Amino acid sequence: MKTRRQFLHHGLHASLLLGMPPYLLGAKKSAQYRTALIGCGWWGMNILREAIAAGRSQVVGLCDVYQRPLEASLDEVQQLTGSSPRLYRDYEEMLEKEKPEVVIVATPDHWHALPCIKAMELGAHVFVEKPTSHTIGESQAMLQVARATGRTVQVGLHRRIGPHHVSGMAFLRSGKLGRIGLVKMFVTSSGTGPEEPTPHTKEPRGMDWDRWCGPAPWRPYCRRLTPGGWRNFLDYANGTLGDWGVHWIDQMLWWSPEPYPKTVFSTGGRPILGPPVSDPDRGSTTDAPDTQMVTFGFESFTAIWEHRKYAGNPQENHRIGAYFYGTEGIFHMGWRDGWTFYPRKASESTVHQEPSFDHVEDGHNLTLLWQDFIDAIDQARPPVADIAPAHRSSLLPMLGMISHRLGRSLNWDGQTESILGDSEAKSLMRRAYRQPWTYPSLQSKTSSNQPSP
Amino acid sequence: MKLSSVCQSLLILTLFSDSTTLALDWPMFRGPDHDGISRETEWKKQWPESGPITLWEAQVGIGFSSVSVADGCALTLGHQDDQDTLYALDSLTGAVKWQHSYPSKLGAKFYEGGPGSTPTIDGGRVYSISKWGDLFCLEASTGKVIWQRQLEKEEGLTLPDWGFNGSPLILGDKLILNIGGAGMTLDKSSGKTLWLSNQEAGGYSTPLPFVMGNTQLIALSNETHFTGVEVETGTQRWEIKWPTRYGVNAADPIILGDEIWIGSGYGKGHGLFRIQGGEVSEIWTNRELRAQQNAPVLIKDHLYGFDGDGGSRAALKCIERSTGKVAWEADSFKYGALSAAGDHLIILSAQGELITAPASPSSFEPLSRAQILDGKCWIVPVLANGLLYARNSQGHLVCVDLRP
Ligand SMILES: NC(=O)c1ccc[n+]([C@@H]2O[C@H](COP(=O)([O-])OP(=O)(O)OC[C@H]3O[C@@H](n4cnc5c(N)ncnc54)[C@H](O)[C@@H]3O)[C@@H](O)[C@H]2O)c1
Repeated sequence: MKTRRQFLHHGLHASLLLGMPPYLLGAKKSAQYRTALIGCGWWGMNILREAIAAGRSQVVGLCDVYQRPLEASLDEVQQLTGSSPRLYRDYEEMLEKEKPEVVIVATPDHWHALPCIKAMELGAHVFVEKPTSHTIGESQAMLQVARATGRTVQVGLHRRIGPHHVSGMAFLRSGKLGRIGLVKMFVTSSGTGPEEPTPHTKEPRGMDWDRWCGPAPWRPYCRRLTPGGWRNFLDYANGTLGDWGVHWIDQMLWWSPEPYPKTVFSTGGRPILGPPVSDPDRGSTTDAPDTQMVTFGFESFTAIWEHRKYAGNPQENHRIGAYFYGTEGIFHMGWRDGWTFYPRKASESTVHQEPSFDHVEDGHNLTLLWQDFIDAIDQARPPVADIAPAHRSSLLPMLGMISHRLGRSLNWDGQTESILGDSEAKSLMRRAYRQPWTYPSLQSKTSSNQPSP
Repeated sequence: MKLSSVCQSLLILTLFSDSTTLALDWPMFRGPDHDGISRETEWKKQWPESGPITLWEAQVGIGFSSVSVADGCALTLGHQDDQDTLYALDSLTGAVKWQHSYPSKLGAKFYEGGPGSTPTIDGGRVYSISKWGDLFCLEASTGKVIWQRQLEKEEGLTLPDWGFNGSPLILGDKLILNIGGAGMTLDKSSGKTLWLSNQEAGGYSTPLPFVMGNTQLIALSNETHFTGVEVETGTQRWEIKWPTRYGVNAADPIILGDEIWIGSGYGKGHGLFRIQGGEVSEIWTNRELRAQQNAPVLIKDHLYGFDGDGGSRAALKCIERSTGKVAWEADSFKYGALSAAGDHLIILSAQGELITAPASPSSFEPLSRAQILDGKCWIVPVLANGLLYARNSQGHLVCVDLRP
């Protein structure tokens, strides 16, 4: 069966071949998309600002389970556009009432899959934040629905379009690094421990904490969780590996001659922050590792993830990014430090490229990524950070965390996307959702009411 | 000077708010006139290349508490080893007169944490509140606790995300706090609650007294509004909706006649409103002064203050009050804090450089500069009796001699 995307794609192609009048293309380009935002936090508003600035969106709805960011976002949208989108707590209600054509999903990771799937099923194109999801099965279902509905799905991996990443990738592909045998991706920061538990308190007024937890386990609220702090609570995200790791893993896979690794093994823990605490009297600490090393075994090279939340990286020039080790030297793909090639031969000089951001303070290239998303919709072509490669990149941190949990190596069949010979590990690719939510099913888009595994 | 005469004069000042200065003390956050401006005019605005003399230094623990000064005593709060300490230092020598510690948490959420309010001195007593609602009334001469309360527990309050950071205000016999959605007052002599607006989280501003008609009001912020409240009854007379991304309305409002200036950071901006009866009307709003933590100072119809958030790019700006238009901006600053004395600005850059400059709408022309601190300096510098008190977030406090 031909998917709708293919139809659109072929359709456009055909008209181009037949010499579609330019004014028609022009007319299409100026179309305003009814746009809605789900998750009005820090990053969600960063994206919505780009959508407004690009001039192709009419903001019709804002959704959050917390009144405060919802109202602050409304205030800003009013200032920027002069119009007042309606506010929602329940994204399903918003999608049904507002019928947006474009939906931005910038909720915490455990809340990516359901809104994305619903939005696509109702016909919207989706811009969803990285990582695609929290568990593997969710991301698989998102990809499947994207293809079945033919909707354009851009994932917020702006490093796929950031100018120094693009030129760095060209440099890597030029062969100047020789044969590459090792990629090391890393994020280091400074910190001390042990982590003090944060007392359990009533959630802030106007926050629907039960809905915030949604399909993930409910846990007592503490101030460390929001905003943003949920990244280091494994019920809702996958720690630094899931948060930062996916960006650099995606850079590695963008370059990689192989689409997936064969083995995954993680070690690490919380030697500095101390054992996680969740105690009615003392409160909660985070529970994500402060130290983690994951080895991804590919056939032709090895990739390593390392993060540390202490000691910094004072002995090196870089504290974040990905090193590509080749026979001709070391290439560092970085963030604010651009990219640098350190040649093996002392006679050759270092090559360096500074970054160029659309937003200097947050160091991102969302302007370009958003424009690419709109262009991809207009032209019915895959966007640069399409759900398929983003899905593959998002799976690696999730596999890393499964290995981390079990303390053993996983054999991964990327073709069928299954963990081989380890039923316990395999069971962790999905998880039971909390009632009344249902884990997205892989069979077909109508079977989302089936019980979870 | 005798303590009693100081408290009497302060009482008179707060009650009648007239400008007969007696002491050039700075008894609470934002100073005797609640506007960030000292009445001192004869102080050393210019110094030789070698910089002004640092009279003394002290280590007072982590926090963002500023300094208040009265009757030879400089007070501030800091956090160390699971406790907060209120320091009463000799304002001339820095010698510890007394100190008062109590168990507390650091509360380092996306920043260093530590206490954010500044103690208030009134009538020979010191009033001080912690991030978590520990409220103390102490004898200013000895540090003896007269009464104390744990407001969060006793009143069942919701803490704001970053805890209580507004400073206590004394008006007559009332102690007023930015606690609850629209403030609370206590009897200052006994600590008994007179009224509490509600149990919601308050904002981070310090209650600002003003008179409307014949009624004494306070203006303060909560997470989403600025509001005017009758001191006697707690009745809310007006409110201005002012939502910000993280619910942080921290900068104190400025009132001039029937106009009120308000502003906040995180991209929000600032605005001037007119209040007539209970009606609020907007005069202008814009994003030119996103005052994240500290309010600007208003001098001769111009506002001077920092636009931007701590830790990111920021600019010092001069803004015409009546129009909201930028008169000038100096963007070499990476955030900072300022106060003023007379018609001169006293600026502490985020990196600890002290800068003096005339407050002039035509241009920014620094008179003198001196590196007096390092680390993160987001806390307003305070001038009292010719001595300049400044501290960083790690608790390094310096007293610089600017006496003529
Ligand atoms: N691409 C990047 O460089 C980048 C950078 C930062 C964040 N992000 C991603 O953006 C997403 C959001 O991160 P953030 O830092 O803005 O977090 P945040 O905590 O600031 O914001 C998340 C918002 O989602 C809301 N929310 C939770 N459940 C909801 C629901 N069911 N419906 C509607 N709203 C709901 C929360 O109340 C909150 O306001 C994450 O997936 C994160 O990984 C990406």
